[in-house]
Amino acid sequence: MIQEPPESRSPETRERPIITMVPDVESADQLARERPALRDWMELRLGWWGFVRKNLDEPMPPGVGWWQTLGNLLLTMLVFQFTTGVLMAMYYSPSPQSAYPSVKHITDTVTAGSLIRGLHVWGSTCIVVAMTLHTLRVFFWGSYKKPRELTWVVGVLIFQVMLAFSFTGYLLPWDQKAFWATVVGTRIAATIPFVGQDLLVLIRGGDEVGALTLTRFYAIHVMILPAALMALIGIHLYLVRRHHIAGPVIPQKGAPQPFFPNQLFRDVIVVIIGIGAMFALALLFPPGLEAPADPAGTDFTPRPEWYFLGLYELLKIMPAGWELVATTIVPGIVTIGMLFLPWLDRSRSRHPAKRGWTILLGTFVILMIGLMTLKGILETPPHSAHSAPAEQHARH
Amino acid sequence: MDHETQQPTPPLDAEAMARRKFLGRVVTVLNIAVVGVLAVPAVQFAAAPLKHRLKEEWLDVLGDDELAEGETREVAYTVAVQDGYQKVDRKYVVYLSRQDGEVKCFDPACTHLGCRVKYQSDQHRYFCPCHGGVFDESGKVVSGPPPKGLIQHPVKVEGGRIYVSRMV
Ligand code: HEM
Ligand code: FES
Repeated sequence: MIQEPPESRSPETRERPIITMVPDVESADQLARERPALRDWMELRLGWWGFVRKNLDEPMPPGVGWWQTLGNLLLTMLVFQFTTGVLMAMYYSPSPQSAYPSVKHITDTVTAGSLIRGLHVWGSTCIVVAMTLHTLRVFFWGSYKKPRELTWVVGVLIFQVMLAFSFTGYLLPWDQKAFWATVVGTRIAATIPFVGQDLLVLIRGGDEVGALTLTRFYAIHVMILPAALMALIGIHLYLVRRHHIAGPVIPQKGAPQPFFPNQLFRDVIVVIIGIGAMFALALLFPPGLEAPADPAGTDFTPRPEWYFLGLYELLKIMPAGWELVATTIVPGIVTIGMLFLPWLDRSRSRHPAKRGWTILLGTFVILMIGLMTLKGILETPPHSAHSAPAEQHARH
Repeated sequence: MDHETQQPTPPLDAEAMARRKFLGRVVTVLNIAVVGVLAVPAVQFAAAPLKHRLKEEWLDVLGDDELAEGETREVAYTVAVQDGYQKVDRKYVVYLSRQDGEVKCFDPACTHLGCRVKYQSDQHRYFCPCHGGVFDESGKVVSGPPPKGLIQHPVKVEGGRIYVSRMV
């Protein structure tokens, strides 16, 4: 994938600016006379190898290892997500009449359609898992501390964008599951005092979930969120490079190692495993479709995507009149707490043992979310389980 | 073009500094104006659905003799509504119930988060499948998280027919 230029093998030349590698250019015709290799010609203009080399030489403090591979795994998975998404947009048609048949067409008729859609559906699940692990590792390593506060803040925003991707994408197949999860999910906005009802109309594009909800969600899913995500990831990566990877909480002996070859090799192994898992899931559990959305039906039990099940369970246990706590206050506090974590945790040390309450509270929140999600997954009736093969019967 | 030979600009005198400051402000104001001419119609455009006003429609849904005393039944009917760019026949379902001679019409949307409640005639209760809300046959909350009873639509009985009103 990335080739190391021969020059970078010698340590002296590695430090020198790449521009001096090219014969000193006095004038354009000298360059023309010497017939430089295409690579040198490009190098003078693009500075590409300098960029590549800088990244290959990125210092990894001793102790950096497998846990630091998740970021690159996420990047690769996002490339898959974008590719499969753009492909499906070539066949998908966002209207109440055509959405369902177009998704059915993609799944049943288009060559490799079931695989492409399966990769997209399972990709979202895999990304949420990898993103959660990445966040946990950054949290426990205390990597959000000075000077990496904004790397963390941008990360939290990326997290929100990913959840919005999932919520808007869930509606697009316009089957029963999609429709009812959106009816109930958007109603959450209406629980907010004063502005709730207007907010609901704004999100739905009308009073009820209908044609304009679908076009709205589609525009958000394929235009607004990808643009926002690319911008945020650009900033995230810029900051990661600017501040370099934080080493282990207790600095280890030894000099930093360049990213290439050891860390890059670890990255590739993890990418192979992660992408392999995505393919296996997409092939073993091909994506299904339930019956087409029926706004008049009364016998369908809506269920959200599995990673929203924690919230769903929280709603269940709230007493009457307290739904605002589950829909807005608890998720709001967790999000704001995450955004401001670098300033809330005032301990000087990144060591978990020296960050007593942060680690305690963080672990508590993580356990609660985990347990509620698990409870939700266990209580999911098997027929509506996420992409279960049983769903395939519904297709025929 | 050669970036090695690029000269730094000479330091500015007081007049040039003042000019810079002034023009800098002008540029800021103009840029805000440019953002504004896009942002104002953009927000109006995206928020257009807020302008839609609902109006009341009366619909004939059932014969008066088809609902016995003490009975609760599910009734479906269609209304032609404007759904964004298209007119569609939207199907609605309501529960009609006659208690002590009076006909009531309950919306099946649970007042908690809008799942469809299901009436169980053997228990005379409505059950919500989502978070366990239960309502009695007069629509009042019996248990679970719903904050208030089932929403009722106005009903009138005229010429042997039951009419239900709906905001569409
Ligand atoms: C799709 C989403 C994301 C992508 C593609 C991404 C990408 C990356 C990459 C490539 C790295 C460097 C390698 C590594 O540490 O694994 C990194 C580091 C980091 N990420 Fe993310 N990230 C994502 C989401 C997040 C989230 C959700 C958070 C936090 C809430 C976060 C916080 C951080 C922080 C603080 C670092 C610096 C770690 C250090 O210096 O040790 N990232 N990210
Ligand atoms: S939607 Fe009926 S109990 Fe929550």
